[in-house]
Amino acid sequence: MSSQSFDSATLEVLWTRLVSIVDEAAAALVRTSFSTVVRDSHDFSCVITDAEGRSLVQATDSIPSFIGTLPRTIRHFLDEYPAETLEPGDVLITNDIWMGTGHLPDISVGKPLFHNGKIVGFAGSTAHAPDIGGKIRSPEPREVFEEGFQVPIMKLIRAGEPDETFLRLLRKNVRAPDEVVGDLWAQITALDLMDARLDTFMNEYALSTLEDLAMEIQTRSERAMRAAISALPDGIYENTIRTDGLTEPLDLKVTLTIDGDEILADFDGSAAQVDKAINCAMCYTYAMTAYAVKCAAGPNLPNNDGSIRPIKAIAPEGCILNPQFPASGGSRALIGHFVPSLIFGALAKVIPEKIMAGAGSPLWCINQSGVTESGAPFAKLFFFNGGMGGTNQTDGQSCLSWPSNISTTPIEVIEQLAPLRVHRRSLRPDSGGEGEYRGGLGQEVLFESISKTPTAMAFLAERTRVGAPGIAGGEDGAKGELQINGKSVDPKQQHIVKTGDTVLLRTPGGGGYGAPIDRDPTAANRDRAEGKIGKGER
Amino acid sequence: MWRKPNFPTGLIHHSKVKPLDQTHALGIDIGGTFTDIVVYDRATGRIEKGKELTTPDDPSRGVLTGLKKLLDRSIAPESLYRIVHATTLFTNALIERKGARTGLITTKGFRDVLEIGRERKYELYDIHIAMPKPLAPRDLRLEVTERIAADGTEITPLDEVEFLEQVDALVALGVEAIAIVFLHAYANPAHEDAALTAIAKKYPDLIVTASHDVAPEIREYDRTSTTVTNAYVKPLAHTYVDRLVEQTADLGIDAPYFMMLSNGGLTHIEEAKRSPVQLLESGPAAGALVAAYFGSRAGIDNVLAFDMGGTTAKLALVEDGEPHVDYHFEAAREKRFAEGSGLPLNISAIKLIEIGAGGGSIAHIDAMELLKVGPESAGSEPGPVCYGRGGKAPTVTDADLLLGFLNADYFAGGSMKIDRDAAARAMQPLAERSGLSAIDVARGIYDVVNENMASAARVHIAEQGKDPRQYTLLATGGAGPVHAYYVAKKLGVKQLFCPLAAGVASALGLLIAPARIDRVATIASRLDDMDWTRLERSFNELEADAAKVIEETGFDPATARITRLADMRYIGQGFEVVTALPEGPYDGTAAPTLLKAFEDTYRRTFSRTPPDVNAEIINIRVSLRADVPGDGVGFTTAGTDTESSQTNTTRPVRFPENDEFVETTVYDRAQLRPGETFNGPAVVEESESTLIVGPGATVRVDTDGNLIVNLPDDTQ
Repeated sequence: MSSQSFDSATLEVLWTRLVSIVDEAAAALVRTSFSTVVRDSHDFSCVITDAEGRSLVQATDSIPSFIGTLPRTIRHFLDEYPAETLEPGDVLITNDIWMGTGHLPDISVGKPLFHNGKIVGFAGSTAHAPDIGGKIRSPEPREVFEEGFQVPIMKLIRAGEPDETFLRLLRKNVRAPDEVVGDLWAQITALDLMDARLDTFMNEYALSTLEDLAMEIQTRSERAMRAAISALPDGIYENTIRTDGLTEPLDLKVTLTIDGDEILADFDGSAAQVDKAINCAMCYTYAMTAYAVKCAAGPNLPNNDGSIRPIKAIAPEGCILNPQFPASGGSRALIGHFVPSLIFGALAKVIPEKIMAGAGSPLWCINQSGVTESGAPFAKLFFFNGGMGGTNQTDGQSCLSWPSNISTTPIEVIEQLAPLRVHRRSLRPDSGGEGEYRGGLGQEVLFESISKTPTAMAFLAERTRVGAPGIAGGEDGAKGELQINGKSVDPKQQHIVKTGDTVLLRTPGGGGYGAPIDRDPTAANRDRAEGKIGKGER
Repeated sequence: MWRKPNFPTGLIHHSKVKPLDQTHALGIDIGGTFTDIVVYDRATGRIEKGKELTTPDDPSRGVLTGLKKLLDRSIAPESLYRIVHATTLFTNALIERKGARTGLITTKGFRDVLEIGRERKYELYDIHIAMPKPLAPRDLRLEVTERIAADGTEITPLDEVEFLEQVDALVALGVEAIAIVFLHAYANPAHEDAALTAIAKKYPDLIVTASHDVAPEIREYDRTSTTVTNAYVKPLAHTYVDRLVEQTADLGIDAPYFMMLSNGGLTHIEEAKRSPVQLLESGPAAGALVAAYFGSRAGIDNVLAFDMGGTTAKLALVEDGEPHVDYHFEAAREKRFAEGSGLPLNISAIKLIEIGAGGGSIAHIDAMELLKVGPESAGSEPGPVCYGRGGKAPTVTDADLLLGFLNADYFAGGSMKIDRDAAARAMQPLAERSGLSAIDVARGIYDVVNENMASAARVHIAEQGKDPRQYTLLATGGAGPVHAYYVAKKLGVKQLFCPLAAGVASALGLLIAPARIDRVATIASRLDDMDWTRLERSFNELEADAAKVIEETGFDPATARITRLADMRYIGQGFEVVTALPEGPYDGTAAPTLLKAFEDTYRRTFSRTPPDVNAEIINIRVSLRADVPGDGVGFTTAGTDTESSQTNTTRPVRFPENDEFVETTVYDRAQLRPGETFNGPAVVEESESTLIVGPGATVRVDTDGNLIVNLPDDTQ
């Protein structure tokens, strides 16, 4: 029982205030960051947890994967550094793939929040670093050791004093040290801001701990999520989907059990972990599971520890959705981004109205590294998205990030930053699966390398063998394609690209919802007029 | 510092500016619901106000009706020397998608830039999400062979024959306006210029907008969005403005017209017609300007302008008499208040935040058993439950009434009867669900809506690296003065300012606006690698261009204040910080000064600067401002009585500080005289609003009749 109770109005006021604190921190992080990954692609999150590391509020701008992983990372920090070993001004750091987000480029930091000499909570932030050394991001590495610079859980800042040795090691091990360290400082700016604002907040409302407030927020959220899950029909629902995999496709399987007010996703039966970097650590698998359930059951519920308590996920050790050390996971999104579609597919037969047809995800990306004309090393990362799936209300949106929320970089900025010329960026006609509501379109981007020296290119590219599934009678979306100089290439390999070589990305379309015959003829005519269907006729 | 309007007769050389015997300035503000018309007599400082319902089918009709009424009140048409106009017409055309049929011609390979956008969801969990529909549909977006590189060099020349074929095709498809956007045109506009020339030769009457002309900035999606939006509202601007000028001329008025820009400056008719996208936020900009004006007159440097109406609340920061100006704006949001759901525009606009919090905001209890207020609003129809017009859902106004903040017998100056019992009944369902009393629900609604506004203000102020405690809150709008005191308290603001005639604030703002022209160009160069001659030349070109418009507007550019700014960032960053620069001219020795200006600004905003990184300038900006002729008399609507006839009444009011209702003095604002002081708790009633003053505060009436409230020191 909580010792202090809050009425509906008071709690709303306090909660609103906490959200404004993390949002303020997120704004500061974006504006002070150095890489396109954070500032244009928004690949980051900010959180405040209670003293036990249980999430209280998340920044509105956070991406779904980090919403799920970051509070767990804070709890790992606490396991390694129990409260009595922490002092004001400490900042902890890690990029461990099992305790972090499933791949090394995501750097997580956490700061104990002291109030009147006692730890009352933690401020946390995860951001995708522009580079982490190792082999550039591609599915090739067999073990995590090949993937770059590993940071165990350690104190980056000890009572206000940064660990200079660590920073020197980090700078030495990454290709873009200024950007990487600059982004790290941006994350610390965000932590400091949360620290200062929370202190003011607690003074203002005369709170000596966050315990009662956290309990109240988490309990109410948990209750609401349980009620939302209770509204779904009980039962056991299975689904299996096929992904491109490596040389051979890999299958993912889920058995979803809805039992009263709880939901369990069991991934037993999914492929075993592989010796390529597409393994999806359990922390990420869980985050994607929670995301899917929230979309279907309670899209308007807040993000905190309470709202995800009724959602459970299990996968056998050694499964590709729960890989074990020393598995590599740099491109874990190539498996992980299938999880929400996998879960939706299981629900398609019972609650099609609450879910979406398959999306043209995982997200695609092009990762180019080499040396500039002056000989300085560079590494650039640009993202592109496919179409979303149709729903019972609307066509899927074209080229929109899902399940993640990683935006794209403007062509003019790409050409300013990287030795690339872009010849085309257009919607892919006919790439959305037909249906009463058709899938969103993918896009086509044609690059030419104008680097004087050869550069290495690695990709995130999936659904080149199996399109995004339609539901309720809708058709599948078009498959993705990756070509270099007009020839299809293996997207899971790194490629060396010379001056004048062209690279073509065709991102997959979304699946359709409902039978195509039920489509409103006006909508079909509009699509035809706009050249979105009908083989690109104008 | 804001300069008090003075009349630089000797400096004005434009033939259209009227001699001194013409004493009346006219302000027209067309809002969503009402058209406000204000006439200001610069000889006496007196203001005449008029209010008409807006006539959306032909907005000039409402203006004409109101104008005729004012002229009938013994104002001679020939005594007018200036007309200043703001309108929501273009914003509404965007929201309702009622602009012109617009085509786009762009670089081969890129016609879908406008539809692909940023690829980012504004809501994470909504599977039915709708992104804004492009103003130019795909079949009206055509491509042409041409290419400029990122550094501005030409890769492929413009194929003019193909270009004209595409224009022909669009004309055949019935477009009324064409936008031209070529990649990297901010770096080299030659191809867009050539396209403009070609099109003007073949179709001299076709309405065209080129991207370098309205938004010469890097990032093709934002630039395309701005250019297409401009083309989309341009035909409307042409017909509307011409018609209005013509019709007012028919009334015998030949005073020159000026249009209010979103940045709070004025410009002349032709500039407004050329680039109407700059006019989108003209009404709210005028509102912020008047807050700045009142603040300056009262000698207050930092003002937080707070305008709360029926559906939304708006907040704007004003420092040293200048409202903050932002260089990006988002229009016509798909989902109200959701950032990222609208059309991004590269225009300079007074920086405002809009919150779904107004008198009509509806309270409900959500799935978490939390009391939520807004953003859904009962608006004015059906309105709050207490209006008795069929509203069923409890609103902020209902709560305000129950708490004793509003007077059931003197609402809207007694012109409207409101029902306290109905408001109390409306609270019952919420009371039952939350286990609170109806009064406690009302207190909760009051507190929650105040926190929503304070939280939004807090994030906004912090984004600028500022401290709310250094601001005075200036309250306008019907609900503003009712909530301002406790919003101030939550923010730690020490002083509250409640101006006279707040009900027509925006229209007043029109009369005191300076001429202001902003110009921008992309430079994209490192400070340590800067071509200083080129930089100075670019600044000079922008300044000359802005000065030309100032001059055409009827002001002497020689008296204009020039501000140089630059969008700067550390190399590798992607967001720029707009930095006010020291006065020019610059040469090679200016590097450290510019760097210092940037680092100071950066540190102010983000509290720290990163180690050992050089800076670069992406865009340069100039802002030219020339104050309007005026006489410094100041506004007054005060009567001529000198004796106070105040007879105070009292009523029970439930203040947040108290656990019960306390009998509270109610002042009639019309009876308050300059110099009077009194203490809170207090209620001050006027026909358009009610000011609530908490216990322990002191209130003073200043010489202009404004109310200045000092919050007690123990306020957090």
